Amino acid sequence: MGSYLIRRILRTLLVMIGISLLVFVFVRSIPGDPATAMLGERATPQAVKNLRTQLGLDKPWFFNPANPLDAQYPKYVAALAKGDLGSGIKSNIPVRDELGSRFPATAELSLAALFFALVIGLPAGILAALRRNSVWDNLATTISLVGVSMPVFWLGLLLSYFFAVKLGWLPPSARLGNESTLEPLTGFYVLDGLLRGKPAEAWDALRHLILPAIALGSIPLAIIARITRSSLLDVLGQDYVRTARAKGLSQRTITLKHALRNALLPVVTVIGLQAGALLGGAVLTETIFSWPGIGSWVYEAISQRDYPIIQGGVIFAALVVSVTNLLVDLSYASLDPRIQYR
Amino acid sequence: MKKVLFKNVLLTAALALVPSAGAATLVFGANGDPVSLESANITDGISILVQRQIYDTLVDFKNGTTDPVPGLATSWKSNANATQWTFTLRRNVRFHDGTPMNADAIIFNLSRWWDKAHPYGFRDQGRTFEIVGELLGGYKGDASAVIKNIVKVNDYTVRVDLNKSSSVFPNVIGSGYFGIASPTAIRKDGAKYGTPASKAVGTGPFIFQSWRTGDRVVLLPNKLYWGEKAKVDQLVIRSIKDASQRLNELKAGTIDFTNDLTPDALRSVQSDKNLVAVKRPSFNVGFMSLNNRNQYLKVAKVREALSMAINKKAIAEAFWNGLGVSNASFVPPVLAWANSSKVPSDYKFDPAAAKKMLADAGYPNGFSLDLWYMPVSRPYFPTPKPIAEAIAADLSAIGVKVNLKTEDWAKYLEDRNKEPGFDMYMIGWTGDYGDPDNFYSAYYGPNASDDINWNPPELQKLLEQGRAATSQADKAKAYAQIHEITYNANYRIPMVHSNPLSAARTYLKGWVPSPLGSEAYNTISLVGKK
Repeated sequence: MGSYLIRRILRTLLVMIGISLLVFVFVRSIPGDPATAMLGERATPQAVKNLRTQLGLDKPWFFNPANPLDAQYPKYVAALAKGDLGSGIKSNIPVRDELGSRFPATAELSLAALFFALVIGLPAGILAALRRNSVWDNLATTISLVGVSMPVFWLGLLLSYFFAVKLGWLPPSARLGNESTLEPLTGFYVLDGLLRGKPAEAWDALRHLILPAIALGSIPLAIIARITRSSLLDVLGQDYVRTARAKGLSQRTITLKHALRNALLPVVTVIGLQAGALLGGAVLTETIFSWPGIGSWVYEAISQRDYPIIQGGVIFAALVVSVTNLLVDLSYASLDPRIQYR
Repeated sequence: MKKVLFKNVLLTAALALVPSAGAATLVFGANGDPVSLESANITDGISILVQRQIYDTLVDFKNGTTDPVPGLATSWKSNANATQWTFTLRRNVRFHDGTPMNADAIIFNLSRWWDKAHPYGFRDQGRTFEIVGELLGGYKGDASAVIKNIVKVNDYTVRVDLNKSSSVFPNVIGSGYFGIASPTAIRKDGAKYGTPASKAVGTGPFIFQSWRTGDRVVLLPNKLYWGEKAKVDQLVIRSIKDASQRLNELKAGTIDFTNDLTPDALRSVQSDKNLVAVKRPSFNVGFMSLNNRNQYLKVAKVREALSMAINKKAIAEAFWNGLGVSNASFVPPVLAWANSSKVPSDYKFDPAAAKKMLADAGYPNGFSLDLWYMPVSRPYFPTPKPIAEAIAADLSAIGVKVNLKTEDWAKYLEDRNKEPGFDMYMIGWTGDYGDPDNFYSAYYGPNASDDINWNPPELQKLLEQGRAATSQADKAKAYAQIHEITYNANYRIPMVHSNPLSAARTYLKGWVPSPLGSEAYNTISLVGKK
């Protein structure tokens, strides 16, 4: 187990180094540079040239014969080694600071979306498998289909219009009310409200979380329900389940104790993949719900060709996905004792 | 008794769960986050909007107009040929940190923007102040720079010497980019100044309180403001990128007013009894640029035929929902004094005459060309693709086959200037200050885009004359000639001057939107907001 863990961590490090190089090259290979994006309609050839010089974008990428260290990649790597991801070209805000303040927002939203997807998706999948071809099965299938096929931005706006504008039950967007005085502690505002001893703020944060979590969780919900259904149906047809039935065990015991646990392995894999996808896929949800997370920030940076933000965001996202996958792989052993790590 | 006690407990618990309501919090829904709160180091509208609340400029503009009025300078005057401008400063004005606003503070600000070697310019840490290069020709020592020298005459008088005549200098320096910040605050916070880790300090009607990026900026009223004091207890500027969501927020009452709604939202706003539609005075132009390198478009008759074949008024009506006007002027209606009386309101929409004109030019069967449309929405072209489709349909009626094309915005801006460039493309401009020079120079000036490959010396001379003219009559004369030349040339065909749609809750009073895009919110009060 220990050596497996060390190997996985080393592999993750190698992946990070590879990604840092790839993202460096890729962002600079996209036509249209930061100077043009910054100047917008003012981007005349001379103005772009001047600004490129000011920003140091006219320097060679990898090697400067006049001064080997005065090139873009060596400077980037040297800073990266010190944990410095640079600053936004336009904003001058350190990328590390922004990641620190925006990651909790994305993580809180992703966790809430995953929670919503699990709470609805798992039971729906189990029910659909146990009552195959029944009304419940058809209902779960329909919900899955709707969840997968409905565009998130449209669902988000619809939810916001119905629950905020028409019914007035929930706020349309943002993380907190206009007059909130909550000082972030962990960056997870629901938790911060409780830790600060302000239940009203925690409740306010929770109310703001509901609609974006539903919008973001709709696709994972559908996928989890479908995978749970098919996986459970597969397991329920296995010999050992038939044996359990022959022994006279109740359906409840067979399902919960024998079948579900085995059926969960592929579900956990999908949950792991969805967790990564949620972090990356929160772009639209964050934009629609004015959620100050990483997705909308990096997306904006891409259109502005803000290299340091794109690089920092991609490296960070890759790290989160790698760690999540590692945790998922480690969780297999607890679900299936036959699995061992070498 | 038990019942009453239980009721009281429930009531107390319920009250504890309701966030306390402030007396008068004014909430604005902005279409994004400010990039920076450091003046002159930004070009985006949201940064200007927030900075407008915190900073004052030397020269201000009368509410709802582009007419210059005293700001931090109570008066200004030039020498005879407008190469020296002397600003007399307002006395007894203090920055939010308590330090005095005086000639030293003004010179500190101007110098750090203009002088690349200024120790507090932080150019080695990413500051570019590119707007100074754009609007003021360049930086200290550059041959093209407008500013030659900045001189302290006394504690409350500053003189700016220019390299060339400029009657528009006070307007330029009064534009929203150039808010005056506290030198003490900049020295204290160094390169962090303008980021969320620092406090932006000006002399304006609101004081910076906090900034959570991607979420909101919170400002408090400046009780010691020299001008009209704010009428609210707090100003929250929220970042809501999506226009539909801004409308949702407004309808739900979670914001009090907002900007940059799409024209199709007008009916929805008008049908809500709690809302009022606010049309910002137009200060933009959306136009089509035609490239002289194209074998067909280099023929004057062809360009005129194309302009005549496009039903601009119908397009403006259909896609701007009445929130815009179409005419033959490159400058918006508030600068109509700069138009020539010899130029008609526009060509008559006449496809038959246009088709004949094409035939006369040697193209009876028409031809084919590319029309590039913007991949992004701007107030001057809120829905570029359908507008491009309408233009293409009009041109096909006279036998011109149009291939619609687009690409990523940054690449679009880059490719238009590359050889051979686009045949024909959609672009526009939103003004920075109230002078025709700001429109004409941007697209016809010496440093303008190379997209149309047409830049006659005669036009450059007239632009110089317009900038240098010290009397309104001389100015009007120069721009009238420019109007005639550009109208007859048809290289840039004006399509629309739009009124960006804003909206507010009905209880919001005193909001006077500026054509320049942002205004201070100290005039706003909330009457009966619940």
